[in-house]
Amino acid sequence: MSDEGYVNYFEILELDESAKPGEVRKNYKRMMKNLVMEIARVEITEERRAHYLLEMAKLNAAFYILRNTATRETYWSKRQEVVALEAQWREAVKQGSPEGDAKRRAFDGQCRDFLSEYVEEAMLAAGRDPDCVEASHWDPAHERHASRILRHYRHDLYRRILERLPYVEVTPPQIDWAEREQTAAAILAETGN
Amino acid sequence: MAKKAAALDIKNVDPHEIASALAKAMCEGDIVNFRLIFMPFSPARKTSTESFDMPKYAYLQPGDTQQRDPRFQQCLAMVERAEMMNFIQSELDANRPAQLPSELLLALADHAVREGKFTNAAQACELLRIRPRMQQIFYEQADAALDAGDVAKGVRGYRIATGLAYDYAAFPEPLPATPDYQTRALVMHADYPQDIMDCVGMQDTEPMIETALNYLLLEPEAVARLEKRPVEIRLAFLTEWVRRQDPRWDTFKQQYKEACALATAFGKRLEGQQEDAKDLAGAIEEQQQSDDPRSIAAALLGRTIGGGEWWQYLKELACEHPASALFVARQAVGDIEILLPRRRSDSAVARALGLCAGAASDAPSS
Repeated sequence: MSDEGYVNYFEILELDESAKPGEVRKNYKRMMKNLVMEIARVEITEERRAHYLLEMAKLNAAFYILRNTATRETYWSKRQEVVALEAQWREAVKQGSPEGDAKRRAFDGQCRDFLSEYVEEAMLAAGRDPDCVEASHWDPAHERHASRILRHYRHDLYRRILERLPYVEVTPPQIDWAEREQTAAAILAETGN
Repeated sequence: MAKKAAALDIKNVDPHEIASALAKAMCEGDIVNFRLIFMPFSPARKTSTESFDMPKYAYLQPGDTQQRDPRFQQCLAMVERAEMMNFIQSELDANRPAQLPSELLLALADHAVREGKFTNAAQACELLRIRPRMQQIFYEQADAALDAGDVAKGVRGYRIATGLAYDYAAFPEPLPATPDYQTRALVMHADYPQDIMDCVGMQDTEPMIETALNYLLLEPEAVARLEKRPVEIRLAFLTEWVRRQDPRWDTFKQQYKEACALATAFGKRLEGQQEDAKDLAGAIEEQQQSDDPRSIAAALLGRTIGGGEWWQYLKELACEHPASALFVARQAVGDIEILLPRRRSDSAVARALGLCAGAASDAPSS
């Protein structure tokens, strides 16, 4: 089953789940240094600024969460929990179980909470951590710019998860893309819009 | 509880009323009314105390003229199919949030696009999870039309594709992206022009077209798609876009000419009185005791705003005529700032949009 969309900070720092705190620090320092050097090399456009801010925020959050055993374990157990809830709901839908709606609501709440906590909140909190500030030169101006970018990122992750989930609000659509293209052509041939 | 039981006993909902209310919402591309039919308090539910007979729900039912409309009849036929009516009834009878029938929602999305109700269409497509791909289809067909030299069709396609955009950073939930020209115009004029050539309307043709498309199209992807096209095509595209987006552009053209004449008159009157007036701003400053320079902005807008700050006029202008913000500039006059018409007299963009016709319409250049 796919766990895509539930931000994986081990992957971001190119580590496996058994990595020691020392490895977390080493990889974070190396990757942040490379990122800062890359930023210094290129011309900063609006699009690149958003990209680099997000990359920086991801690295900061990964270090902030994974360097400490307690925060790392809490993060990983919450992630596992939400992944399991998704699987349970999908199974309930597959079986046509009457518990499907309750499982969906439980999953949806948990999923939103997880993404809020570990995408927006953790990334912004990491930006205020002295170690992260020292390595990334993150400042209040970054935070102001980043809040919208992080909200976008959170919604993007949520959308990626949503894409593979069973339809709830509507019945599963039968989309014939050839028919869709013809309809679009017919609409464009009209002169109304 | 007794009240609810009583309602259950006596309420009888006519399936034809449900079908015609749904068909009306579909035909009009109205997702709000469509969803309302399935809400817990909907007059279509037997458990609800609301009823289609109530005058406040009269708007849900089609009028006589609409009932004869072939599009409405087509929608009604879709809804009234036996299996569809059975499904709708079962969803309305179930004690849980209803699942909307995707087939009807898809038809609603198509009608919404036809009616130019892009936010309704975007919401329907988002629910069906087909929005990004539908956007791509419209972009691709619009690009093909532009390749074939059909600018009008290309603009129609881009208007629909950009209209289907979604704002995932909207608060508290993602929502269809909506035009916010009143904010974008303020951002465009946020810095006071230090030199006359800093004004948006004084740019050369190509940068001017780029600025205009970035400002008007709202979607960076749409602008990027147009970037490689020849400048004549992009100019024709921009002209067609403004014409379609702002049906009252002709009114603005007249107002713009009047504002230009007014601004020129300020300058000319003072030329006679004050030989050493260096520029229009200085001239206007001298005259402000007798003439209020804010009347130029009022002429641009076609009415006066109480307070009359430049940014108030700019926001109103951008809201009523989005493209107008490209041909104005801020100007300090004494201790106030005003909004002036500002464009190059040889500007291909201004000429294409009808802002240059006749010598009287020439904007002051200083």
